Amino acid sequence: MIRTVSGSPLAPSVKVKLINAGFQTAADLTEVQSLQLCKAAGISQEEADEALQTLHDHSLPLQQRAAVQGLTALDLLHQEESWGNIVTFCSELDNVLGGGVPVGNTTEICGVPGIGKTQLCMQLAVDVQIPVCFGGLGGEAMFIDTEGGFVVQRLVGVAKAAVEHCAALVEDEEQRSALESFTVEKILSGVFLVRCQDHVELLAELHLLPDFLRTHPQVRLVLIDSVASPFRQDLHDLSQRTRLLHGLAQHLTHLSAQHGTAVVLTNQMTTKVSPGHTHLVPALGETWGHAATQRLILHWEGAQRFATLNKSSSRKDATVPYNITVDGFRDASISVSSVLSHSPAAGSHSKRPRTENQHT
Amino acid sequence: MTGRVRMAENGAQLLARIEGRRSLEDIDQNVFPVNGGPLQGDVIEFHGVEGSGKTEMLYHLLIRCILPTHSGGLEVEVVFVDTDYHFDMLRLVSILESRLTSSSPPQSEMEEVVRSSLCRLSVLHCSSSVQLLLTLHYLEGVVCSRPALCLLVIDSISAFFWIDHANGGDSLTRQEANLRKCTEILDRLRRDYGVVVFATTHAVMRNYSSSSGSSEPSGSAPSWKRNSDFDKQYLCRSWQKILTHRLLFSKSEQSSVSEEHKRIFSSACSTVRTKGVHRCVFHLTEAGVQFSAG
Amino acid sequence: MVLLRAGLCPGLSEDLIKALLEGAVRTVEDLVLSDPEHLAQKCSVSYKALVAVRRVLLAQHAAFPISGADLYDELLSSTSILSTGITSVDNLLDSGLYTGEITEVCGGPGTGKTQICFSVAVSVAHELKQNVTYIDTNGGICANRLLQMLQEKTMDSAEQMNALQRIGVFRAFDVFALLSCLQNLRANSLQMGTVGSGSVKVVIVDSVSAVLSHMLGGKQNEGMSLMMQVATELKTIAKDLNVAILVSNHVTRDGNNQLKAGLGQSWSHVPRTRILLQRGEQPGASSSLRTATILKSSRQPCYLMEEFNLSPQPQEESQTGFAGKRKLDTDS
Repeated sequence: MIRTVSGSPLAPSVKVKLINAGFQTAADLTEVQSLQLCKAAGISQEEADEALQTLHDHSLPLQQRAAVQGLTALDLLHQEESWGNIVTFCSELDNVLGGGVPVGNTTEICGVPGIGKTQLCMQLAVDVQIPVCFGGLGGEAMFIDTEGGFVVQRLVGVAKAAVEHCAALVEDEEQRSALESFTVEKILSGVFLVRCQDHVELLAELHLLPDFLRTHPQVRLVLIDSVASPFRQDLHDLSQRTRLLHGLAQHLTHLSAQHGTAVVLTNQMTTKVSPGHTHLVPALGETWGHAATQRLILHWEGAQRFATLNKSSSRKDATVPYNITVDGFRDASISVSSVLSHSPAAGSHSKRPRTENQHT
Repeated sequence: MTGRVRMAENGAQLLARIEGRRSLEDIDQNVFPVNGGPLQGDVIEFHGVEGSGKTEMLYHLLIRCILPTHSGGLEVEVVFVDTDYHFDMLRLVSILESRLTSSSPPQSEMEEVVRSSLCRLSVLHCSSSVQLLLTLHYLEGVVCSRPALCLLVIDSISAFFWIDHANGGDSLTRQEANLRKCTEILDRLRRDYGVVVFATTHAVMRNYSSSSGSSEPSGSAPSWKRNSDFDKQYLCRSWQKILTHRLLFSKSEQSSVSEEHKRIFSSACSTVRTKGVHRCVFHLTEAGVQFSAG
Repeated sequence: MVLLRAGLCPGLSEDLIKALLEGAVRTVEDLVLSDPEHLAQKCSVSYKALVAVRRVLLAQHAAFPISGADLYDELLSSTSILSTGITSVDNLLDSGLYTGEITEVCGGPGTGKTQICFSVAVSVAHELKQNVTYIDTNGGICANRLLQMLQEKTMDSAEQMNALQRIGVFRAFDVFALLSCLQNLRANSLQMGTVGSGSVKVVIVDSVSAVLSHMLGGKQNEGMSLMMQVATELKTIAKDLNVAILVSNHVTRDGNNQLKAGLGQSWSHVPRTRILLQRGEQPGASSSLRTATILKSSRQPCYLMEEFNLSPQPQEESQTGFAGKRKLDTDS
């Protein structure tokens, strides 16, 4: 093996000591005992044990071994198909996203205050729990609230509408029995709420998240609403902020791929002044745009709300209208969508949940 | 150690040492100042940011060395130590060929000339500073036995800077240990055997002391960054000490790129032997470096 | 620094190592740099044995010189050019990715870096029937999209599956995982020996900046060291295994608000060829229109620019939405 000491995830000071003692590669360490190593390199017993463990290939940490083994794109395709998507209850947006918010990926939602970011988050927290026989995931959600925007009464409203919608679709026995346990109370108990005040709390929470997800495999969705506010408020060292954010983004990407959860982040908008005109761009800087796999921008155009898929590795960019109703996140009225005609596949729309007029 | 009499020396080695190697003084009058060309045992540093024409200039000079005399070359042997895994043989050959077509027409001979020229070049790849050190040591033996070997190119000597920097921990001496040892051998190679050394260094350290904000008003001439932000010398002292020439490369601002995508480059050569800085302006074409008049 | 170990080379016995240790010679460099005559006296070992060991060690550890002519011949026979699957990008790159080289695509978010990576993977796996190693560091890989791209090329589903199987996906979300992934790749390929049909032709890393950018900056230099190790590893793989390497990188703005590739000056020397992707400028144009500009190349003039369209996707397929899926799922 040609694994090197300097490229291993050990503490820099330990690496320096090992290298200066002449241990360059994993091969140099194969026949060394930990006691011998402490003496030769002048490091503590624990450090020596850790070094040997890290560099011996057979005891690679599990996650690293998974990266080393790899899989083919075909395996990945099966994995993606088994993971599925979380529907948004806005059929046009689902179309744009390829069936909803993808599981196993990170999605960023940007928008000005009041555009419906938190509404969409709540909608997703409910929709992830739709039973499998209704085409849902039957999962649970974790909601990390940093802005205090989570209002439980609102969640109740959205949940109620979702239950009623499913009830209207019941066709067979399986669905009928599934519906019995799909209640508002059940939905509320399936949303784990965490409140974070500042970026330190948020980072700490995210570092505990892998353990939480391991013990709660039914959690298929992690929402962070919003990732921007803790970082915009109290961090003034811009380069440190950028580094922390990049680290956070990598961590979340890792998490979503490893545990098969969807990670949804919301972000605020900021005004960018360029010569001649100003326009709104997502906050946290230009390079933050690389953080999430998909980026959805919610914005106003006149009195109508629109969602634009701005970045995606699998779908084409598109803009669709949507509405926020008492029931939650829904399709816009037909007149607007026909004017825009972004979706040629209009035939399937009639099957979609179109409930904005039913429960008002 | 250097003054010590060698134990065994054969005739060729003796000759190489006494006769001296061919001087590369007239390697290129455009780049080096008059009476300031590289003599035996000179060490020349090529310094510049990415895309400032260092490599192209290196190829230009290298080709001049390996071409046979009847094609306008110096016909000497060159060793190229490639630490960056950056050496582009295809590019070198394409410059070589275009150089030949412009000078001597006979097509049938061309392939032969290219082949014989390339035989004068040896290439080595190094992937760590330790390997570089051992390789230089090994080259000492090679240099001994080959009197026609006049030029040693190291592209680049700064390649392992960051890795050594981190591996050395907090101790500067340890960070620089390998490079210092390399420099010692290079010093021996140049002093005892009269080999000319060309080494490139990547500009990676920002020179914070110079005020970079002041942009001079650009007239008709392309605007140069007079004092580049990145001309700080960051390699160890012993390396600075053996340098005899320093070539600083810079490129014109992107805004002054002409319509034919011709980008103007410049090199500024300062040597210990002549006063002042010798500037030369060139641009890059398919056929390599082309010097602009004036 | 390579420690002297018994078995490192013939003649280097435990006794000799012990004796040398007395003379403060622990590593190969110590031995090579010391004067054998002196050392033989100091440690009372045989001069002859010492010289022999020294010569072997030097031959083992020093780089081996190759004549330029041989190198050229080898290069002519082994270099191949792999199409990226996008004509205008191929034009920019002088017909495609060259084996033995690192090519970089850089661009802001949503400018199509990942799409180019996908396109290369699909084109090499399908058209050339060669193996692809795809190292995903930012979660951007989407097998569904790869399948879509294949469906545009062929209707034969067996062929699509074969092509997908030729794409090996590794997911490395931190720099250490990336390094060990690359090191394993090199070790495994060297073990397999000769360049056969099963060998990898292209290695794609999407993206290098995702794992590296947050390691850089601040006062530590470990990040720089790790970045250069990644660079060395990539360059060695490109040269030794004769594969084409494609990496993606993000962009930053310099003082004049010009876009430049991320990861700073030290990284800027690493790729042989660099192209910058940008969104089509004129508003109202198709949202999938992108421009590619060459920023660095030894074969093409810089600032050559081409436009291309991220291949359009049919909108009607994959209606796996909520209500539409309901019927299908009842039988599962």
